[in-house]
Amino acid sequence: MNVCVLYSGGKDSNLALLKAFDEMNVSCLVSLKPRSEESVLFHYPNIDLVYLQAKALNLPLIVERCEDDEYSSLKALKSALEIAKEKYGIEGVVSGAIKSVYQATRFQRICDELNLWCFNPLWLRDEISILREIVEKDFDVIFTRVAGLSRDFLGRKIDIEIVDELEKIKNYVNPAGEGGEFETFVLNMPLFKKRIKILESKIIGNYFDATLIIERAELV
Amino acid sequence: MITVVSTCKYRLSEEEFVRPIVDIVKREGYECEIINYRNFKPKGNGIVICGTAIKDLDYMNYLEGFEALKDFCGKVLGICAGFNIIAKIFSNEIVENKKIGIYEFKVIEDNPLIKKGNWKAYFLQKFSLKNINDNLECLALHKDEVCMFKVKGRDFYCVSFYPEVLNGEIIVNFLRQIS
Repeated sequence: MNVCVLYSGGKDSNLALLKAFDEMNVSCLVSLKPRSEESVLFHYPNIDLVYLQAKALNLPLIVERCEDDEYSSLKALKSALEIAKEKYGIEGVVSGAIKSVYQATRFQRICDELNLWCFNPLWLRDEISILREIVEKDFDVIFTRVAGLSRDFLGRKIDIEIVDELEKIKNYVNPAGEGGEFETFVLNMPLFKKRIKILESKIIGNYFDATLIIERAELV
Repeated sequence: MITVVSTCKYRLSEEEFVRPIVDIVKREGYECEIINYRNFKPKGNGIVICGTAIKDLDYMNYLEGFEALKDFCGKVLGICAGFNIIAKIFSNEIVENKKIGIYEFKVIEDNPLIKKGNWKAYFLQKFSLKNINDNLECLALHKDEVCMFKVKGRDFYCVSFYPEVLNGEIIVNFLRQIS
């Protein structure tokens, strides 16, 4: 089956992509570019860098812009999936949704309207097990946004020490970051043909609500 | 030992519909075996028949294999596709009626899995059951649809929604009844 992957460039969409790759023919990636980090549905920081990730994956990428509200986000998603259906003959959509019933419901409804299969291979996964899996599978993932965690996490690679650290505070901070506590960016994973090297970056925000903006990066 | 039945045509869907059930079964301390709907044979002390993607109807081509459940003396929990399978093998008609998202339902009869009253659940269903025959007992309703039933004279319980999302106690209480 030809499928597209809803791709934000973070750890969850990359792990969902890896799982889909084993069984399906991943024909393209679909990314939504919201106006700001206030987006109700989509990942925001460094979304422009998905072009580089798509190149590293050697996969076509469809990007649709949207406002931050639900109506605009869903309209853009539907439009992107219609393009994917027409251009790449997709029959299914893969997402990295974990626990958000709000997000899953909306993805399922759009897939249903477009007569597409919907796959959520990380659905209801224990968050710590996801972090452990990306470490075991040699993903190179860094924190790009924190809201509740300290800004010292920004730019740090997710390794086993960080997973242990997040496990200790999991009652206070969702260790998958799905509640917006943090967002991540994948520099390398098993399907990348080249890895991403950050050449220039800056941190904006305050101590407990900050974003790492990657200003320049290249494939090496 | 609990048998967890996959009704998924694709392995990728099993990550979404089977693995969460297996996680609960293991967390509750039970051993489990996963079997596929294409070669279903009842075994173990209890059986959980999981759901599948809303577009996935392949399991409907294998209903004959599930007829063996009629001779099974253990406990069964059917979830969505499992609800459809058990409704059908006990000669009930399901009708196309899609429902995606969180909806309220009302438990109207005492049962060991969930208390009477109003609850919310996550539905991802293509079919619903409006009328039931004498083989089944309605335990809960969403509007005029049966969303939870019991097979009379058996410990077979079925829900049309996904209890693992918002109503995990249904699965836990089902498992705790199994010795």
